[in-house]
Amino acid sequence: MSPLLRAKLRAVLFGALGIGLFLGAWEAVGVYRLVGSSWPPLSTTLAFAFDPDRATLFRRAMATTFSMAAGGYVIGAAAGIAAGALGVLVRALRPGLDRLVTTIHAIPSVALAPVFIVLLDRDSTGMAIAAMIVGYAMYVATTSGLAVASAAHRDVFAAFGASPLARLWRLELPAALPALAGGLRLAIPGALIGAIIGEWFGASRGLGLLMVSAMHNFQIPLLWSAVLITSAASLVLFGVASLIERRIAERFRA
Amino acid sequence: MRALGTVVSRYWGMALILLAWQGWVTVFQLNAIVLPQPLDVLADILSNPGIYLANAGQTAWMALVGLATGMAVGTLLAMLAWSSPLLGGMLTPLGVLFSSIPVVALIPVLARLFGYDGGTVVAIVAIISFLPAFVFTASGLRALPAGSDDVFRAFGAGGWVRFTRLVVPAAVPNWMIALRLAAPTAILAALLAEFLIGTSGLGYLFRAAGETFNTERAFGTSVVATVVSILLFSGTLAAEAWVRRRWG
Repeated sequence: MSPLLRAKLRAVLFGALGIGLFLGAWEAVGVYRLVGSSWPPLSTTLAFAFDPDRATLFRRAMATTFSMAAGGYVIGAAAGIAAGALGVLVRALRPGLDRLVTTIHAIPSVALAPVFIVLLDRDSTGMAIAAMIVGYAMYVATTSGLAVASAAHRDVFAAFGASPLARLWRLELPAALPALAGGLRLAIPGALIGAIIGEWFGASRGLGLLMVSAMHNFQIPLLWSAVLITSAASLVLFGVASLIERRIAERFRA
Repeated sequence: MRALGTVVSRYWGMALILLAWQGWVTVFQLNAIVLPQPLDVLADILSNPGIYLANAGQTAWMALVGLATGMAVGTLLAMLAWSSPLLGGMLTPLGVLFSSIPVVALIPVLARLFGYDGGTVVAIVAIISFLPAFVFTASGLRALPAGSDDVFRAFGAGGWVRFTRLVVPAAVPNWMIALRLAAPTAILAALLAEFLIGTSGLGYLFRAAGETFNTERAFGTSVVATVVSILLFSGTLAAEAWVRRRWG
């Protein structure tokens, strides 16, 4: 067996052991009530989440939260990429854009909630917060990605008299694709965070609302199920995005 | 004139937002319960400095203590993971797992686990800042300059010497990135925890202002929370730049 293969095999083995121990500990802490009744065993939480009686409840909550997150994700990604491209194309705007975007990013999303509740309504606040979080990630990914193309390649385009727009479309954008794909992957948990925080500020339905009401009312399995469903969705989407990113990186590597 | 140019080029975006805010209120003739004017919000902050300062101080303190605890535990665990291939191999996928879920969603679970008291906010911030600390320090400890480890081994340096003289210094830039990423999250986590279960702090002030329809207070809290967050964030940025200059 080659050393590389052995190292890979060992990583998989140790990793599986780590995840197995984590899940086992989760179950054991719950079964033996090591930290009290607020920690249900993993099996109880899973049984609760997959109970057919609650399928409608969870399906409705998921539809609300995931559509808010998805809407915010699309709006944020489009705005972030557009703003990043604008900053690269029109140099004079760049310092102000950078400052504006970092300031907005430094505003805790909780602090934006009152603004969005006034400008939009309680139920779409989550989408707006998700869009802000995703927009920041994509602005950073776009500005750094568009700077990836090498100076030599830029010189070739300049020497053949290409317009800045042609250069953006045929050189800088393809070179930026791996960075953009990475940004899109990293933004996924952010979109869900935005949707959930929005719901905490008084939405009328969704997984975030389930979490908070279950927390206040001691509905422990419901609380854990809502968090588990949200995390599992994020994990699956993150995994899919990682696969797409790997394909793009192989195809467009500089 | 040039100074004015710099100010305009850096702050045009923020000035635009303030203008849009004032314009919105004026054009739509909104009353103060719906959307207060920028000046009224400022007036509320200036006429109640005690309330804002005490709560901002509380939130900042919770966030700082939690951040420091989370960074310390995360760094320690990353070092343990570095020293043992088994532990490292077991913890790495868990680190990836937890950095790909929306950790903020864990706050209600943690609140229920730790109970609704003051220490819970710190514990929540610590657990949420722990994750980037662990992930980035662990990858920093493995990202040694090419060939440097061979040099140390060739000169017969033992494990401890390699750790203190090579591995730890090499991980410092990554550690600073972890700090910069964790700082805004720490403030956000503190605010959210206070909002959900707190009895004081800026997050609680939000909830109280919302319940009494005191929109000037709510917006004032937004402004003060933003200032606290930007101060902490700029602090970590400056620290990171300083470290990068020193480490080269």
